[in-house]
Amino acid sequence: MEDQVEDIELRPATVRRNLTIKNNVARQVAINFMPSRQAPYNTLRLRRVNSENNALLDAVASDTPDAANKQADIIVREMELHTHLMQNDPVSEELRREALRDLPQGLTMKRNVRAKLSASVSLHSKRRPISVLKRFQYRLSFAWKRTRERFRDLIFSIQLWYEPIRIIEGHLGTAVGSYFHLLRWLFSLNLLLSGLVVCFLVVPQVLHDHNNSTTTDLGWLDIISGKGGLEDSLLFYGHYHDGVINGSLPLSYNMPFAYFFTMFCIYVGFFLVFCYRTAYSYRRNFIETSGGLSNVFANKVFCGWDFGIVSAHAASLNAASLFNEFKELLSEKYKVKVKRSLCMKIFEYTVNTIVWVTVLGSMMALHYGVWALRAMTTRTTNWNLLVSLILTSVLAVCPLLFNFLVRLEFYRPRTSFYVTLARTWLLDITTLSLIFYYWAKSSTKCWETVLGQEAYRLVLLDSVVSLLLLPAVEFVRILIFKLNPKGTGPEFNIAYNSLTLIYNQALLWLGLLFSPLLAVAVTIKFFLLFYIKRVSVLRACRPARKVWRAAQTQTVLYMFVTLSLFTTLFGIGVLFLASTSDACGPFRQYVPVIAVIGEGVLGLSTHQTLNAIITFIIRPGVIGFLFVALCVSVYYMRAKSIAQRSMVDLLRQMLVLQAKDKDFLLTAIAKVSNGEWLYSPKPEENADSHTWRYLHEVRKPSNAGYHFDGSRLSHAFDRSDKPVRPRSERPQSVRTDGDTDSSFSWQGSSNYLNDLENRRMI
Amino acid sequence: MGNKVVTFTEQQLEDYQDCTFFTRKEILRVFKRFRDVNPELIPKSMTENQAHTIILPVEEIEKLPDLKENPFKRRICQVFSHDGSGNLTFEDFLDMMSVFSEAAPRDIKAWYAFRIYDLDDDKYIGREDLLEATKLLTAGQLHEDEREEIVTSVLDEADVDGDGKLSFMDFEHVVARAPDFVSTFHIRV
Repeated sequence: MEDQVEDIELRPATVRRNLTIKNNVARQVAINFMPSRQAPYNTLRLRRVNSENNALLDAVASDTPDAANKQADIIVREMELHTHLMQNDPVSEELRREALRDLPQGLTMKRNVRAKLSASVSLHSKRRPISVLKRFQYRLSFAWKRTRERFRDLIFSIQLWYEPIRIIEGHLGTAVGSYFHLLRWLFSLNLLLSGLVVCFLVVPQVLHDHNNSTTTDLGWLDIISGKGGLEDSLLFYGHYHDGVINGSLPLSYNMPFAYFFTMFCIYVGFFLVFCYRTAYSYRRNFIETSGGLSNVFANKVFCGWDFGIVSAHAASLNAASLFNEFKELLSEKYKVKVKRSLCMKIFEYTVNTIVWVTVLGSMMALHYGVWALRAMTTRTTNWNLLVSLILTSVLAVCPLLFNFLVRLEFYRPRTSFYVTLARTWLLDITTLSLIFYYWAKSSTKCWETVLGQEAYRLVLLDSVVSLLLLPAVEFVRILIFKLNPKGTGPEFNIAYNSLTLIYNQALLWLGLLFSPLLAVAVTIKFFLLFYIKRVSVLRACRPARKVWRAAQTQTVLYMFVTLSLFTTLFGIGVLFLASTSDACGPFRQYVPVIAVIGEGVLGLSTHQTLNAIITFIIRPGVIGFLFVALCVSVYYMRAKSIAQRSMVDLLRQMLVLQAKDKDFLLTAIAKVSNGEWLYSPKPEENADSHTWRYLHEVRKPSNAGYHFDGSRLSHAFDRSDKPVRPRSERPQSVRTDGDTDSSFSWQGSSNYLNDLENRRMI
Repeated sequence: MGNKVVTFTEQQLEDYQDCTFFTRKEILRVFKRFRDVNPELIPKSMTENQAHTIILPVEEIEKLPDLKENPFKRRICQVFSHDGSGNLTFEDFLDMMSVFSEAAPRDIKAWYAFRIYDLDDDKYIGREDLLEATKLLTAGQLHEDEREEIVTSVLDEADVDGDGKLSFMDFEHVVARAPDFVSTFHIRV
């Protein structure tokens, strides 16, 4: 019997458990002390160890004064068995800490254990001389861990809006809370963004302007449309100096470089942050929980109650929604599943396709309309403003239309939700790309400023809509509801509001390059949005009655934010790689704008070797090769994960087989103690024996390579004279795991064997 | 030099940080919530062994806003108390908040959730436990036979070894595949 203590690889110490791959030793120790881990699935040795430990723990009577002490001693003795835990270096310390955290005992006990453990470690540690390199490595990782912890403490101590979000979660549930989390996260990112922009771009420019000041006059409409006096201001790209700024001190500040690098770092840095966050969220919510759709009832019972609920109203709503969902599940269980004929399927697919085509077609028509409107020569002086207004209202209303349209289609409820989200997001992104493209290709002088103005206008108009109009609409709705209470009140539409946030963020990404102070504007807007939404949510909305897997929706929203950033980055990159920006702005001198790196910073024309290297790297062949390598590694990882998943399935099948074995053995024990003989391998002697039938009709086929044949199960035995059990009549509910699940509905096989035997004997 | 009351010694704070999933600020915040239940009983300074000797009775703990509306509040207090009665010391309370916090990993939550749903404390979640749980979850709105149906379905889905009740293994199996478990089994401190 192999030793159960597994080898662990010493991993660099990380602070938060989520980042380490499972600490096997910690888990081992924790497992050994969970008394309710039943033995059947363990090997004999581990079972003995378990029962020893548990027996020891239980044997210490809990009312003797030093019972806790004795129990702690037992635990420490167990932990001492694992040599990796007991060494006197930071890595072991981290492992010990994780093992302690995972121990399912009370806190007082844990403190006791910790004290004893450190005493034991210092007693037994052999001072081995560590090499200088290792000591340096340890010190580095230790210092890194300390800084991370301190940083996290700092972030936690300035947690903005912690209490308000907690109150909202308590009243309306965690799904609505997730919207506010998204808002807060985006707000803090934008705050950081505006901080960077102001420090590196605005302040030097202000100093420069100070030297040669101009006066401007602003009209009212100018502030909204960004024209006139604001046009040549700090707000827009065109204003920024394109050379070196000399301050009063003998310091020079190269504006183009600063502009380029700030923007580059911002875009790329945030892109990486978003990618990481999306990947983490995806792993946590989709991959770790894959294949989990078949336990509908169990999920409802065990994960249905939101433990964060604080108000009585939300609690009664949660209870009511659980009641409704249970009733729905029960009725679905007994619904006869209508087999959709081929005709119906074709009809459904056609309808879906038609609606998609309609949606895409109307989007394109919209784009064409916007383009045409823009291209019309200005009749009034504020034509641009009008077009922006039209655009904003269309973008605000379309999601509601999509909501309505999706009801005409034949999707499952979850899919239709995702489809609506995707369509809305697509509409937003394509519209923004269209605007970008239009202005980039137009022949206006200084198109960048115009684009910046457009972004500025859109942000402003959208804030009018979401800060003023929408709350007003919600208040009116709640008033109507109060006067005429029919149905439920207005619910907080998480999807719509989250998409508004994503739209704003995408607008910011688009406009940031051309209007640096837009970051500040959007930050202020999010700040106000939080307070206004909070008031409207607490007073005017009811919690949603049916919450669609909030965790997975969060992942999808993060993904949309990342994709928006990616699209913008791509667009800007393509644009700046090729064309020039010689009319205005800080990049006037550089012929393709990207040459700012080449000529400006690196001075490529002077360094020949560097030039050669960079030219080589940028060649399409190299980039194509890197891309192919990336694809190959993605494919490899995917293949690995598929293999792991099938291994998990295999092990699950083994688990179920063990359960059947247990069943068989228990019955066999009962029979033998009754004096009956069971085992007879030869079929001619005792073909009806319990053992023979079990081995040949249930176990033997499945022993062959674990390809479990469902027809060999108990319900293949003759059951014509069995009383009808309600369970056996359960229709095949939809299982996403294919037919493995139906084969494993082992419904007390030994009972069947017993009954049949008894009947035959009589 | 003001009269600064030290709530915990440095050693205590380090211990708590190592044994729970909290940072220092969070620990102090938890202490504040604990003290707000009964400010007379709980002193401001817990530097000696008050952290594991002073006991808050279960009736007062249940009045905490986080637990007030929870149908399983009595059982939660019983699970986390050191003697099974429901009366909590500060360290029990800290333990409880740590398990319910965001940083606690899935398997710790699953372990404690199993103990909470095991209402009769027999190391299994049996039929009666499930019946009682469904009654509590829907605030008594379901009929007796509907509840029986639900319990049968749950056992069908989750019971792998067919003994008519859920062991920890079965429970963990179900919960590990539920994406919402971690977000619902969460109390923000």
